[in-house]
Amino acid sequence: MINFRFIAADLYSSIRQWLRSIGTVFWTLLFPVLLIIIFGAIFSGAGDVNYDIIVRDLDNSSFSEKFIQILENISVLRLDTGVKDDENISEYMREKDITAALVIPKGFESQLQQAFTNPNITVDIQFYFDPSDQSTTPIIRNIVASTLNEFNMNVTNGRRIIVMNEISTLGEEYDFIDFFVPGIIGFTIMTSCIYGSIERNTKYRKDGILRKLLTMPISRADWILSKMLFMLFLSFISASVILLVGVMAWGLNIEINIFFFVIIVATSFLFSGMGMIISRFVKDEETADMAGGAITFPMMFLAGTFFPLDQMPSFLQTFAQILPLYYVNEALRNAMIYSNVEKSLNFSAFVLIFAAIFFILGIVVTKWKEE
Amino acid sequence: MFIYLDDAMLIKKIRCPKCNEIFTITGDSGVNIKVNCPVCGLAGKFAFPAINAKQDNFAITVQNLKKIYGDLAAVDDISFEVKKGEVFAFLGPNGAGKTTTVEMIESIRQPTKGTITILGRDIKNSFNEVKSKIGILPQEFHSFERLTVRETLDYFSKLYDRRADIDDIILTMDLKDKSNTLYKDLSGGQKQRVGVAISLVNDPEIIFLDEPTTGLDPKARREVWEVIAGLRKRGKTVFLTTHYMEEAEYLADHIAIIHKGKIIAEGSLEDLINKHGKGSLLHIRGCNSYEIIDTLKGRGFETYSQGNGNISVKIEFKERVLDILSILRHECVEYSSIDIRRSNLEEIFLALTGARLSEAT
Repeated sequence: MINFRFIAADLYSSIRQWLRSIGTVFWTLLFPVLLIIIFGAIFSGAGDVNYDIIVRDLDNSSFSEKFIQILENISVLRLDTGVKDDENISEYMREKDITAALVIPKGFESQLQQAFTNPNITVDIQFYFDPSDQSTTPIIRNIVASTLNEFNMNVTNGRRIIVMNEISTLGEEYDFIDFFVPGIIGFTIMTSCIYGSIERNTKYRKDGILRKLLTMPISRADWILSKMLFMLFLSFISASVILLVGVMAWGLNIEINIFFFVIIVATSFLFSGMGMIISRFVKDEETADMAGGAITFPMMFLAGTFFPLDQMPSFLQTFAQILPLYYVNEALRNAMIYSNVEKSLNFSAFVLIFAAIFFILGIVVTKWKEE
Repeated sequence: MFIYLDDAMLIKKIRCPKCNEIFTITGDSGVNIKVNCPVCGLAGKFAFPAINAKQDNFAITVQNLKKIYGDLAAVDDISFEVKKGEVFAFLGPNGAGKTTTVEMIESIRQPTKGTITILGRDIKNSFNEVKSKIGILPQEFHSFERLTVRETLDYFSKLYDRRADIDDIILTMDLKDKSNTLYKDLSGGQKQRVGVAISLVNDPEIIFLDEPTTGLDPKARREVWEVIAGLRKRGKTVFLTTHYMEEAEYLADHIAIIHKGKIIAEGSLEDLINKHGKGSLLHIRGCNSYEIIDTLKGRGFETYSQGNGNISVKIEFKERVLDILSILRHECVEYSSIDIRRSNLEEIFLALTGARLSEAT
């Protein structure tokens, strides 16, 4: 029978001890947040004052050139005018990795001239944007819109004669931060679960706590269950903080669904089991820490946590597919960001299988009793 | 299955699982009886544990205990008994087999052979029943660093149904000033006192303390000794393993000396000194007459010359001291000082093993 009184007491004291350890709180919560901010700034271009925009002039008139000239004079905008007239604008945006484009339609000048005399006529220009990029697109949109206002003011004394027609590219390209945040969640759960297990099974063994518990009226199952609940608590807390910072700092678009919860729970079991196995075979505390590092660090870099796998050599891409963290990262990305149900299901199934294998193996090899 | 509630021999208080009525049954040790609940009539059986009446006086009995690792017999066929309410010291050098023995008694290690009973129950089958009646302080124990003393005791007490009063334990262990201090901020002696305090949270009948003063400075060691002495006053049985002979001499009612896995001597301190030591020796220093040795020998005293005018005389009875002093005066022997020293465990260990306790491994 499950000893709920013990589990509640153990969970409470674990949380209390965790909150009193500034270092542990830092590594569990603040470190991933710092990673998001630093990497987000590097890869999302927040530190860059230039914003790229594609400009296609289908009119090639003096008015359209004048308008483009105004845009060119805006120092933070970098104009790409290399798109051909017959080229698909969305594809060109993806190819150039640029998230905004402005198209001046054919007949722009003649329509403008008609609009000067007829107040019922407005002239449309198309603003294409990638909605998945919430960090730079809104800025470019604001710059273009205020430029148009200024143009309207100068040409028509404020009448809204040129209207910006916004067209979403519904792009399949995602910003780096979208890619990065699920990776950070997976990585954070991995490290806290592996090192948490190592601490429990090596430090507590060295300190005689496991020997003490053996002589007390609690079962190993209650102890493991209680510690797993604590690891789940940490996993959800850290995932929540990471997501909150991702949304607030980088406008991350996420979807929280059943897959997200299943993956977080399975990941916690997976890496806790891995930690148990490590500490079973490497009993010395310091050596176990090093063994934990030897497993987590290569996995962190090779499982597509920071960089998409397709940027790595093919042999490393193949190797990544034996790493459990790869499946965790992909499952989280497909569930939270790409909303790809089929892929979410497939990757989550792999995570569940890994979790079952490692956790059961971890319980089997973990011994409290001395030989 | 009816639920067994108390410990008394032959009379058992049990609870009916159907109506929760608590009632008393009687029976003989080792006998199965049929039981009917007097309220709801639920029928069942109850097996009275087979308990040797002699064992009822003993908290722990160990018979022919053996632990073998490969070719090494870490514990080699040892037997002993620990009476209820006594401080039992298991004394021996490092590596003698003390911790292996105590961990087999605590069911942490499996014996290769032998029988262990705690409070009359064979722990091989009934250790779970015994768990609530014992408290242990493992060797080199360190508790959770980021819990205060009170939180630590509170945490461990929640694992038991039977709980002692935490405030009372804190007072007894002289930890009142430190009750809100984090464990990691305590001194070595205070940490050990917390360790002993943890072993008391379930108000146990037997407390196992495995080398509780190792690594402590003399002051802290003395503090822990006072705590252990206090446990005896409260009627607790204490099983103490130590390699400090002074600790055993100061605290123990009964001492078993273990060396290379075997118990080489056992008994009270007096028994051990009388049986294996030289008893008490009267040391006469700066004596001006060696003829006195022959005189004393002639009067039946076992006498040794230590050189430089120093003479030792074995004293079998306290009254013989006056006889020696009388002879010295009668013979007009002059000397600079006289003192009486009793044999100690170090000498006994030396006599039994040929090695000093502090140096043996």
